[in-house]
Amino acid sequence: MIRLSLLQFRAQAITAATALAAFAILLAATGPHLASLYAASGINGCQPASCEHLASNWLSQLYSAGTYWVLYLLGIVIILLAPAIIGLFWGAPLIARELEDGTSSLAWSQSITRTRWLAVKLTLTGLAAMAVTEGLSLMQAWWATPIGRAVGHGGGGTNLAMGRFSSLVFATHGITPLGYAAFGFTLGVTAGALIQRAVPAMAITLAIFAAVQIAMPLWIRPDLFAARHTVIPVSSLHNISLQQGGLNGSSFTLGTGDLPGQPGAWLLSSEAVNPAGQATSTTPTACTVHLDGNNTPGFLDCLDSHGIREAVSYQPASRYWAFQWTETAIYLALALVMAGYCFRRLSRRLS
Amino acid sequence: MSAVIDASGLGKAYRRTWALRDCALAIPEGRVVGLVGPNGAGKTTLLRLAAGLLAPTRGTITVLGERPAAGPAQLARVGFVAQNTPVYARMTVTDHLRLGAWLNPGWDGELARQRIGQLGLDPKQRAGSLSGGQRAQLALTLALAKRPELLILDEPVASLDPLARREFLQGLMEAVAEHGLSIVLSSHLVADLERVCDYLVVLVASRVRVAGQVSALLASHYRLSGPRRDPGSLPAGQHVITESHTDKQSNLLVRTDEPILDPAWNVKPVSLEDLVLAYMSRAGDETPTLRQQLGVVS
Repeated sequence: MIRLSLLQFRAQAITAATALAAFAILLAATGPHLASLYAASGINGCQPASCEHLASNWLSQLYSAGTYWVLYLLGIVIILLAPAIIGLFWGAPLIARELEDGTSSLAWSQSITRTRWLAVKLTLTGLAAMAVTEGLSLMQAWWATPIGRAVGHGGGGTNLAMGRFSSLVFATHGITPLGYAAFGFTLGVTAGALIQRAVPAMAITLAIFAAVQIAMPLWIRPDLFAARHTVIPVSSLHNISLQQGGLNGSSFTLGTGDLPGQPGAWLLSSEAVNPAGQATSTTPTACTVHLDGNNTPGFLDCLDSHGIREAVSYQPASRYWAFQWTETAIYLALALVMAGYCFRRLSRRLS
Repeated sequence: MSAVIDASGLGKAYRRTWALRDCALAIPEGRVVGLVGPNGAGKTTLLRLAAGLLAPTRGTITVLGERPAAGPAQLARVGFVAQNTPVYARMTVTDHLRLGAWLNPGWDGELARQRIGQLGLDPKQRAGSLSGGQRAQLALTLALAKRPELLILDEPVASLDPLARREFLQGLMEAVAEHGLSIVLSSHLVADLERVCDYLVVLVASRVRVAGQVSALLASHYRLSGPRRDPGSLPAGQHVITESHTDKQSNLLVRTDEPILDPAWNVKPVSLEDLVLAYMSRAGDETPTLRQQLGVVS
């Protein structure tokens, strides 16, 4: 059965290998130049005081030059789409097309049980799906190493400066691509077994996969571990977003983009709180004099002197791998449950 | 009697519709059995249940003494060629033979190559570009080279032209002569079955209307025509299958194991086609019990 699966998988394997090779060539052709740009930027071996500035400068240049920003984004999009494409074209037809073409009658009347047939098909194609996706991810990770280092040095200010916890980077690096690939593939197989027609199964697969991939970073991932909370002086904030409004600037909202002393942490929420620890948006009357817009430090100092501080909930950077493993385990578990359902359905009910 | 297929109370429902309901059947070993019936009688469902591709909703079916598709060993003993003889369109003829060799411990590679050679199929050709007849032959080759004890074919010739049909059935008969396997094949064309089958099962609306050896069936059915009379006045051993009357004349098709002695009747033998049509058109409520019938004729 293994040999038959390999024979039948040949065409898909060639397509996948071609895609991987094209991706590798693209990255290999541009990666060394990116690395040399990084080497020339002086971030390596920088004095602690100048690192952040150098890194931000370099990222801004890279971003405005365009090419590498586009390549970076392209790589991320390809890795994000790979599990969906695999689910559509490898997963959904796996059972559905056999049923549609009637070849299931041929396959399942050989001297081999349907359980074994499915076990071999699922394992081989599933492993290939995971290998392809993780392969793309590893290549991209190698290519993007300089960008990651610059961000690690505190470089910010552009769309390129995405931390490890940002949705796009988290979902395309580490081991999460393995989980997504297994999930996308099995989702396709299951939809095919349920609907028994390949094209509708592909549509359903795409819809469910997209919904899950949107729900995960928005509503599920932040709560995988209990967030930490801290309250810090507003004057210590670096990367703030401040909005003032209301009659004569009577209200304000103050957010922060990073947390001093916690580099690489994942900020979930931030808001100003009054001395009693309650969320506040009322500008102390004395501070409304600093409303000319250009005197942000003065405004912050004034808030400080009125006991207003910033409350931040976050996930510390040290939890990165805990998040990676947990999320991957969730997707693998979903894949296993769906595979189990396919086995049940195949051995009991399918024609 | 040893049965290759034995079913009782067998039913299969798709959602709420019954494709086969309360079917009882025993198909004897060592025969070429024709399963005939109108469209929708449940032939395909019955055969797919026998091949283990479907699981029964009710009742039981055993094939060669085991539950269909119970395991690799049971699967190895049964060959199945599905309706429209599906093959993998993108795989070559050789690939199909490889598939057979990889998935069947009892694979007879010599037989497979020989048949492909005789048929003149190009081993490198993709199965998708074969003609309907060639495709059917490829599917049959796969099923035969597995060396099954029982070969089940669901309407194998339905989509073939008359020439391909004859060649296919000829190949089938040669295989039977050579390997002595039991065969069950379905068709709604009696003419095809007449040429190859020595046992007949007529299935109408899930029920077996008549089953028996073709020769015995032909020897025990007669077409009677004579002056009009009430069928109820026939001797006890004569069962009316169909009747039609004009003002003066009665035409009957009767089953009896005794000779027709009444000189008023003009007695003619029946053809297999007449016999099948008679049973298919007969009202369903007076179906004789199947086991009894099988007991009588086999």
